[in-house]
Amino acid sequence: MKWAWGGVGLGAAFALLPYVLQREDLLNLGILIFLSVALAQSWNIIGGYAGQVNLGHAAFFGAGALVTRSLWVAGVPLLVALAAGALVATAFGLVIGGPAFRLRGVYFSIGTLGLAEILRISVGNLLPEISTIPAASLAAYSLLPRYYLALGLAILSVVAVALLARSRLGLGMQAVREDEAAAEASGVGAFGHKLTALAISTSLAGLAGGVFAYYHVSYYPQHAFSPTWTFDALLITFIGGVGTIHGPVLGALFYVILKEYLAVRLVDVHLLIFGTLFILVVLLLPGGLVEAWARARRLVYRSG
Amino acid sequence: MSAPPISARWREGVDVILAQQLVLGLLVGGLYGLAAAGLSLTFGVLRVLNIAHGELLMLGGYGSFWLFTLWGVDPFLSLLGVGPALFVLGLVLFIVLFRFVVRAHEEIRIKNSLLIGFGLTLVFHTLAIRLWTADERSVTTAYAGAAAKIAGLTIPLSRLGGLILAFAILTALHLFLTRARWGRAIRATAEDWEAAALMGIPVERTYMLAFALGTSLAGIAGGLVSVAYSISPAIGLEWTLKALIVIVLAGLGSLFGSFAGGLLLGVAEAASVVVVGGAYREAVGLLLFLVILLTRPSGLFGGR
Amino acid sequence: MLEVERLEVGYGALAALHGVSLTVRPGETVALVGPNGAGKSTLLKAIAGLLAPRAGLVRWEGTPLTGEPAHRIVERGVALVPEGRRLFARMTVRENLELGAFTRRAQAEKEGRLARIYEIFPRLRERDRQLSGSLSGGEQQMLALGRALMGGPRLLLLDEPSLGLAPRVVETIFGILRQLHGEGISLFLVEQNVQAALTLAQRAYLLEGGRVVGEGEGRILLQDEHVRAAYLGPLARRG
Repeated sequence: MKWAWGGVGLGAAFALLPYVLQREDLLNLGILIFLSVALAQSWNIIGGYAGQVNLGHAAFFGAGALVTRSLWVAGVPLLVALAAGALVATAFGLVIGGPAFRLRGVYFSIGTLGLAEILRISVGNLLPEISTIPAASLAAYSLLPRYYLALGLAILSVVAVALLARSRLGLGMQAVREDEAAAEASGVGAFGHKLTALAISTSLAGLAGGVFAYYHVSYYPQHAFSPTWTFDALLITFIGGVGTIHGPVLGALFYVILKEYLAVRLVDVHLLIFGTLFILVVLLLPGGLVEAWARARRLVYRSG
Repeated sequence: MSAPPISARWREGVDVILAQQLVLGLLVGGLYGLAAAGLSLTFGVLRVLNIAHGELLMLGGYGSFWLFTLWGVDPFLSLLGVGPALFVLGLVLFIVLFRFVVRAHEEIRIKNSLLIGFGLTLVFHTLAIRLWTADERSVTTAYAGAAAKIAGLTIPLSRLGGLILAFAILTALHLFLTRARWGRAIRATAEDWEAAALMGIPVERTYMLAFALGTSLAGIAGGLVSVAYSISPAIGLEWTLKALIVIVLAGLGSLFGSFAGGLLLGVAEAASVVVVGGAYREAVGLLLFLVILLTRPSGLFGGR
Repeated sequence: MLEVERLEVGYGALAALHGVSLTVRPGETVALVGPNGAGKSTLLKAIAGLLAPRAGLVRWEGTPLTGEPAHRIVERGVALVPEGRRLFARMTVRENLELGAFTRRAQAEKEGRLARIYEIFPRLRERDRQLSGSLSGGEQQMLALGRALMGGPRLLLLDEPSLGLAPRVVETIFGILRQLHGEGISLFLVEQNVQAALTLAQRAYLLEGGRVVGEGEGRILLQDEHVRAAYLGPLARRG
């Protein structure tokens, strides 16, 4: 419960930030953090709670971005565009998950890997030019609505995971994660739970992509399908604490801030550091920062 | 005597183009097969799916490139260095990382190996960019442009050499696995590791050998790629996917099956280039991959 | 000499063996009989190093065996012929046999032992290029036995050698076991076919519910009331 209050406090602090500090670079950093939280939490649902390793999460992020951008730039109201983006992302999820989840876990993993690549290549070929916002919107471009939209999405993703974690659905997912055969034997339909997890995960990822598309003034459409987004999702989730509610939040803060700090001097080195950290977490500290924190506290209590 | 009608001459021209593409596809297919064989060996014996396989191939390619650029070592000769070097790297990776992964039972093994391979991909990819930049490199030997002209088709000799060498190496490996004491130990361990242990076979050491052979094959394939094509840090993911596509196409269990599968993929890609153009070359292979992955479940697990 | 002292083996929360103690003296043939699920296979697997015990000790020729990995135990001269044979089905008869002599020590004797195995099991020589998966049940058991012998063991552990075999084949197998006994190899066999086992063995133990509940000479146990009632009734006399 302490974490919940901490989360509310954090959310409130972020909400008030633009009024306290009128700094654009902080707002941009904030948006980056919020997007990362949402992206990571969306992966956390399918990978952390349902235990299915999605190696092509960028596919769903990118799909959301593409659809939202296309519609919004064409004049469709933003919320409709976002919803459409989430819908299309979910559709892709079901297309892969439907067949893959009837087979062994590894098929889903490499299937999503292939899907993300196929989409990236195809989009890169079909839409090679940079996507820009029409001049009128550009003149009216303001960071504030984007900031709050992203913050709202991040909060939504955390709340979604929090609700899921204790619900029957969420507990069923975790049972499937631990031992699919045992779960089936005790009446938990593995296929249904996995597919539901994927649907929620991909729609959130699609929303994140949509917000990304709304935020960036110009970008190459295929960039939204870049493996970078999958990397980020996994790194943040695992380093923060996979399968926990606050893990991805901690991870996102840690990741984005460190990345921005390092990027000033050494581009990309953050990937080396996080990649290594990731491997260490998988092998030695599966609970990530959350577990590290819990252990540190126990040590302090024991000695104190 | 009148000249043949224009349509016939045009068709003949297309036939030659098609035949040329198919030949080139065949030539690259041999390398696909070699790359797949390494991954297939590791997965078949250890039940570990090393997603970083393509990155190891990339490292092998850079090995050949630098040996050539710095000391003028002929790329085919450099394989004598690259092969063992990647073998040693495989030993190191096993001892430091994968040794712990194989202690769990199969489903967890596969999942953890996906995650660790993912982390390694990130680390190697970033390292390569830092060390050698993202530029494409190619080994241009004196004989780089040499080609045999047969029946109106141009067959680049370095690529032909690559194909022949790939086949030769797989043949040598096959002989090792069928005749040599440790080769048979590998096959026995792959089939039933407990029974193998009862023969006095040290299972962990056998796993290590198989893993290192797999990485060595990746390195050699990479060396051949550097001379016949070009390399860059980006080819890692690309070749991991190629290997996965071939394994899903051809199933596990046979080195020559992988080789044939690689040829098939190469030819299929080439045929598609003639139809949909070069930009979608990768996408076609991936589409084939997804379709087979999701409709023919036995792909990855062969006859098990 | 094999000494098992108060061995405890468990699978997770369940305990399969509760402090089992027994011995097999050099050159002896000892049988272990008992109902299904008594823990007989578990005991053999623990001795062979496939399972780690929770407590207790296994000693072979004076030095401890517990804690050693399975492949090391084979090098010490103890070989297990596992339940269900566990042959390498995709490899030939000859390849299976040659794998039995994997250890370096056994490699030196490989040719000689192979010839000897083919002498004892002429049917295997006939089929030596055949895939072991395509052999009949009896031939598979012979192959499994031969494969274990290729390592030159001084103690042979056998898990249900008569399982699924026709009576005549069982006779042949047990005849060969008698021959091996005559050559001085210690045998410790777990068997459902109590009649055959107690006729072959000098001594036998009774295992029920993970505990040793009886011990005695083979012939005497064969006459025992409890044994006859539990294991030699019309239902038990299946093999």
